[in-house]
Formats: sequence, C-alpha cells, structure tokens
Amino acid sequence: MAEYKLHYFNARGRAEVIRLIFAAAGQKYEDIRFEREQWPEYKLKAPLGQAPFLEITQKGKTFQLGQSMTIARYLARRFGLAGKGPEEEAEVEMYGDQITDILNEIIKIHFEKDEARKAESAKKFFEETLPNILRTLQSKIEKNGSGFLAASGLTWVDLYLVDVLGWLGEKKEHLMANFEHIKALDTKVTNHSKIAEWLAKRPQTPM
Amino acid sequence: MAEYKLYYFNAKARAEIIRLIFAAAGQKYEDIRFEREQWPEYKQKAPLGQAPFLEVELNGNTFKLGQSVTIARYVARKFNLAGKGDEEQAEVEMYGDQVSDLLNELVKVHFEKDETRQNELRKKFHEEILPNTLKTLDGKIAHNGSGYLVASGLTWADLFLVNILEWLGDKKEAALANFSNLKSLDEKVRSHPRIAEWLEKRPKTEM
Repeated sequence: MAEYKLHYFNARGRAEVIRLIFAAAGQKYEDIRFEREQWPEYKLKAPLGQAPFLEITQKGKTFQLGQSMTIARYLARRFGLAGKGPEEEAEVEMYGDQITDILNEIIKIHFEKDEARKAESAKKFFEETLPNILRTLQSKIEKNGSGFLAASGLTWVDLYLVDVLGWLGEKKEHLMANFEHIKALDTKVTNHSKIAEWLAKRPQTPM
Repeated sequence: MAEYKLYYFNAKARAEIIRLIFAAAGQKYEDIRFEREQWPEYKQKAPLGQAPFLEVELNGNTFKLGQSVTIARYVARKFNLAGKGDEEQAEVEMYGDQVSDLLNELVKVHFEKDETRQNELRKKFHEEILPNTLKTLDGKIAHNGSGYLVASGLTWADLFLVNILEWLGDKKEAALANFSNLKSLDEKVRSHPRIAEWLEKRPKTEM
C-alpha cells in the first residue's frame, strides 16, 4: 500500500490536475498546502526546489517526484488513467502537452506587467492560440467516438483540459458555445461522481 | 519491425533530441527535412499541425505523434532509454521536464523583439535560471554514482541535457565551469560511439 503526500501552495495552480487524478481514481492522499511564508522551508525538501512535489512511501522507502506533468503522468499510469498501450499513452501525453501550452500562455498573460503587451497577448491568445488548440482537440474527440480525448475512455488529459478551461472564468461559456464536443466532455467530467464530489469540497481559492 | 519517419525543418532545434535518441539506440529512421516553403503542405499531415511529428508504421498501421518531448519519451521507452522501472522512469521525465523548461526559456529570449526586454531576459536566464537548474542536475549526477542523471545509466534525459548545452554555443564553457559532474556527463555522452558518429555526420545547420 503506497502513501501519497502532495505538497503545494494553497491554490489550484499547477497542482490541481494531480488532485483531479487522485479524485478520479478514488485514491486517498495528503493534500498538503503551505502558505507563501512557509515555502522556503518546504523548498529544501522539494526534489528540484520547486512546487508541486509528491512524496510516495511504499515498502518502507520514500520516493520524491517534482514537475507537475511528470507527477500527473506517473500517477495516471499507476491508476489506469493513462490510456491503453504505448501508442495511446503517447497520444494522451501529446494532448497533455497541448493543454500545458494553453496553461503556460494563461500564466504568462496573468503575470505580464506591461499593460499594452498584456492586452496584445490576451487578444492573440483568445482569438488565435486557444481556438486553434481547441479546434484540434475537438476534432480528436469527434473522431474517436468515446466522448473523451482517447478512444479507450477517460484519461488524465480530460481532467487536465477541464482544469485549464476553469481558468478562463467568465470567458469559458462563450468559448464553449463554439466547441460543442469539448463542452460535452467538460460536462461529462464535472458530473463524474468522484470529480463532482472533489469540486464541491475542495478549498475555494482565487488561483 | 516498426518503421519510423521523423518530419521537421532542416534544423536541430526541437527535433534534435529525437534524432539523438535514434542515434543512441542505433535505430534506423527516415530523417525528413523540409524547407520553410514546403511547410504548409506538411502541416496538413501533422497530427497537431505542428513540427516535429513522427510517423510510425507498426503492424500495418500508421501511428502519428506530435509534440517533441512526447515523441522523445515514446521512442525512449521503445528503445530502453527511459530508465528502469516506473519510479526511475518518472525521475527521468522529471529531469526531462527541467531541461524542457530551460529550452522554453531560451526560446523566449531568442524570440523577444523588444531589445531592452531581451537583454533583461537574457541576463536573468544566464545569471539565475540556467545556473540554478544546472546546479540541481549536477547534484543529482553526483548523488547517484552512475555518472548519468539516473542510477541505471544513460537515458534520454542525458541526451536532452547535452542537446540543450549545445544551444548555449560559446556560453557553454562558462556555464559548465562550476559543474564538474555535468561537464563529465557532457563529454561522456558526446564521445559515446553512436552519438559521436551522429554529431559528425549530421547536417550542419545554424539552429
């Protein structure tokens, strides 16, 4: 029996996809959230000096892992949420990389201090970058018939997509109007009993 | 027997890690390089409309994959360059993600149009971001005793690290000055017979 401890700030941020994977898998874990002032102390424990990081204790040994996407992939494989077979697993990772591209743009825009550049980047993001990626993902969902990104059913990237769409706030609904299959996936995932339970009980944080 | 076709511009850039993996594995593949004017035609064949992309002929089926680091992980697993066991595989991916982050920072600096910002970003990269990551990775090599990033030996993360060190050009030597373990790893990988052969015979391109 493995024990899992996730370490992150009190935020969804780059850790939420990991929490969604634990939720979908019905897997218990310690959801450790620290304040900004405590970070220097936790930073020393983190394998790469970054958050989130995961500690897994199994067979008396502790294994530490950093980098949110690596943690997500590792857990997804353990819990059967990574796709079926090496080819589908890689296909799923490919969509994960696309979704990370979206998240990185959102974060870049969020932290941009220059107002003119911020507006320009946001415009490009909402008019070009985001719709292009959503269009690609939508056609994959349409093509494979499962209603999810992978033909075999729910995988971690469906959870990740829903997580990142959540960052769009009030712009999400308008956007979803143009992407019916993504909207359907979003609805299906958020209504999945274990996910709905997590979404209802998780700490409400601005980011 | 699988057949592999890699598609990219005539450049090292984001495809080179994949080519290094094929080289280290001694695996034949078609190294397809197109000119910028041909890209619109190839873009339509690409699974995500991006390059590089990989086509694999397997059991009479064609499987396509996009996103350079996903392709790298997929082929590394096929050729036993991904680490031994689930935990080490995740550890390798963690270092791969670190190097990928460095690469993205470098690309950001390179494409920054505003000269003041570019100088700022470049300074931050070379004085903070790069040394911090190299320090972490140098420490990992020192810690595990194999001379590589992970205990079991050479993996794709070592190839990716060497690849990104190449991107530093004439700044590489100074960057490695304080990191003897990284320097040794770089030399060891570059002189590995199959890698050395590839470095010798590959097309010479600026990027």
